[in-house]
Amino acid sequence: MEDFIARYGFLFVTILQQALLGLSLYFPLMTGQLSLASIGFYALGGYVAAIMGTHPELAPLRETLGFFLYPLEWLVALAASTLLGVALGYPALRLRGIYLALATIAFVLTLGVVVLSLPIAGGAVGIFAIPQPFEDRLAYAWFFGPLLALTVFFLWRLERSGTGRLFFSIREDELAAAAMGVNVTARKVQAFVIGCALAGVVGAMSAPLLNTWNARQGTFDAAVACLAYVLIGGARSKWGALLGAALLVSLPELLRPLKDSRMILNGLVLVLACVYMPQGIAGLFARRRS
Amino acid sequence: MSLAWFLQNLLNGLSIGSVYAVFALGYTLVFSILGIINFAHGAVFTLGAYLTYVLAVGEFGLNGMLAGVTLPFKLPFALALLVGAALSGLAGVAVERMAFRPLRKRGADALLALVSSLGVALILVNFIQYLFGAEIYSFPPDILGDLPPAMLFQVGEEFVAVRTIQAVLFGVSLLMLLLLVWFIQFTKRGKALRAMAENPETASLLGINVDTFVLGTFFISGVLGGLSGTLIGVSFGLAGPYFGVSYGLKTLAVIVLGGLGSIPGAVLGGLVIGLAEAFLPPDLSSFKEAVAYALLFIVLLVRPQGLLGHNAEEKV
Repeated sequence: MEDFIARYGFLFVTILQQALLGLSLYFPLMTGQLSLASIGFYALGGYVAAIMGTHPELAPLRETLGFFLYPLEWLVALAASTLLGVALGYPALRLRGIYLALATIAFVLTLGVVVLSLPIAGGAVGIFAIPQPFEDRLAYAWFFGPLLALTVFFLWRLERSGTGRLFFSIREDELAAAAMGVNVTARKVQAFVIGCALAGVVGAMSAPLLNTWNARQGTFDAAVACLAYVLIGGARSKWGALLGAALLVSLPELLRPLKDSRMILNGLVLVLACVYMPQGIAGLFARRRS
Repeated sequence: MSLAWFLQNLLNGLSIGSVYAVFALGYTLVFSILGIINFAHGAVFTLGAYLTYVLAVGEFGLNGMLAGVTLPFKLPFALALLVGAALSGLAGVAVERMAFRPLRKRGADALLALVSSLGVALILVNFIQYLFGAEIYSFPPDILGDLPPAMLFQVGEEFVAVRTIQAVLFGVSLLMLLLLVWFIQFTKRGKALRAMAENPETASLLGINVDTFVLGTFFISGVLGGLSGTLIGVSFGLAGPYFGVSYGLKTLAVIVLGGLGSIPGAVLGGLVIGLAEAFLPPDLSSFKEAVAYALLFIVLLVRPQGLLGHNAEEKV
């Protein structure tokens, strides 16, 4: 049993973490907007936590706060991501479809290059020796687990609230929603910013988990992976991101005996899922029920 | 800031920019008829470079599956370039069959095609890594035969260096552009392609076999991708199987800058990005990669239809 936990504990925590990133994309998708920006906010949140955890001038603060440093990091990351999310969201969400996807990719890539040249972010090496609250990596489930539960509960409430219905009305028909008096841009920005804030907090929680943080945390590949969780799991259900992350994170582990060719199979899964399960895994269940 | 400095940067920018333009046209052609961005185009670019390398040099690297294998022949560079490009064209066709056709037949969301093309890109890139290994390949310096590596021209007090490879880059790209424009504007098939870009349903009612032409477009797109991959590879080396992906992302900036689906736009965008990179002051060189992305972002916010786009009216 201990062997099992040692082996798969990290995998379990990674699934929780990646599912949260997938959910951060589900928020804009509720309004029908495909954004790839989450990973940029994830990187930002991680840098906030990494800097707060290692910067020499903040040493007295860390000593006073002790364990409460971590919640403070989450709050600062939340605030920073929300601000940047609003600043990015208002101009970007006038765009739709492929244009929004491209603009958010461009944002992620620009952020990656800019971070490389910022001295405070440690350049190409990044920031390392970030203080860790837990020895055991499985213990980080105490960070990600409650956040995930909270997010799913929030989504469950949101989907039944007036705001949630407004989001869905934009997804189903933007023009009709606008004609009914919905402030389309404001709602889209709202959904987008919630997603950004969530990704920022996930980043702040992940920096201690990974112990180091660098520009490789916010790459194009990672952005695509998050998108794949949602689309393969099902873009029209909050469970989609969870299912997709569980499948895609564990797949490379299960396929480990195949070594080099496992990434080929990973790509194959993406293609097959798009072709045969356009509604995602969650879509399969929905169809069975109806 | 002398004249020679200006000419040198102009030259550098134009030669690399013309390759960006050719690469970008591969995206543009597909976008103009299907309204989809083919993210596997960067992987085809990589494939073209590796295929040409093997055909011209005759051997594989040290740590792929094919390590130590030697081909019984070595093609001259020009021929290897053509065969590599043609094989990349076939890879383009395979991409269409795998990632796009099944979705198109079902009338699926265009964004789903984006993800499935990313999946195919993942397959291709890792397949290349499996076969060729993750190491850096660089073409031998005598790949172009006995030509001198560069020629110097005196401008005033200083010299401008024209590297032979730059001349090849510019020459081949220009030739490809002219061929493509001739094909699209002056042949019957080109006319059919333009009709499809205008309206696929009407085109099919008028007796144009849409499936064949889509395949053909992917073939041409693959040829353009493979060719530009080789040109970049000869100039800067092949920095591992993922090198095409980063060029592919940069080239997204090119097509958006010019206007998605616009051919003159892709050419203009390629030259603008090439020149912008060349004229970037040396102390900002760490931002070189960001230039294209930042331009992409700004253009999308300010003028989403691009410099030469007309709000999705004119295509191909």
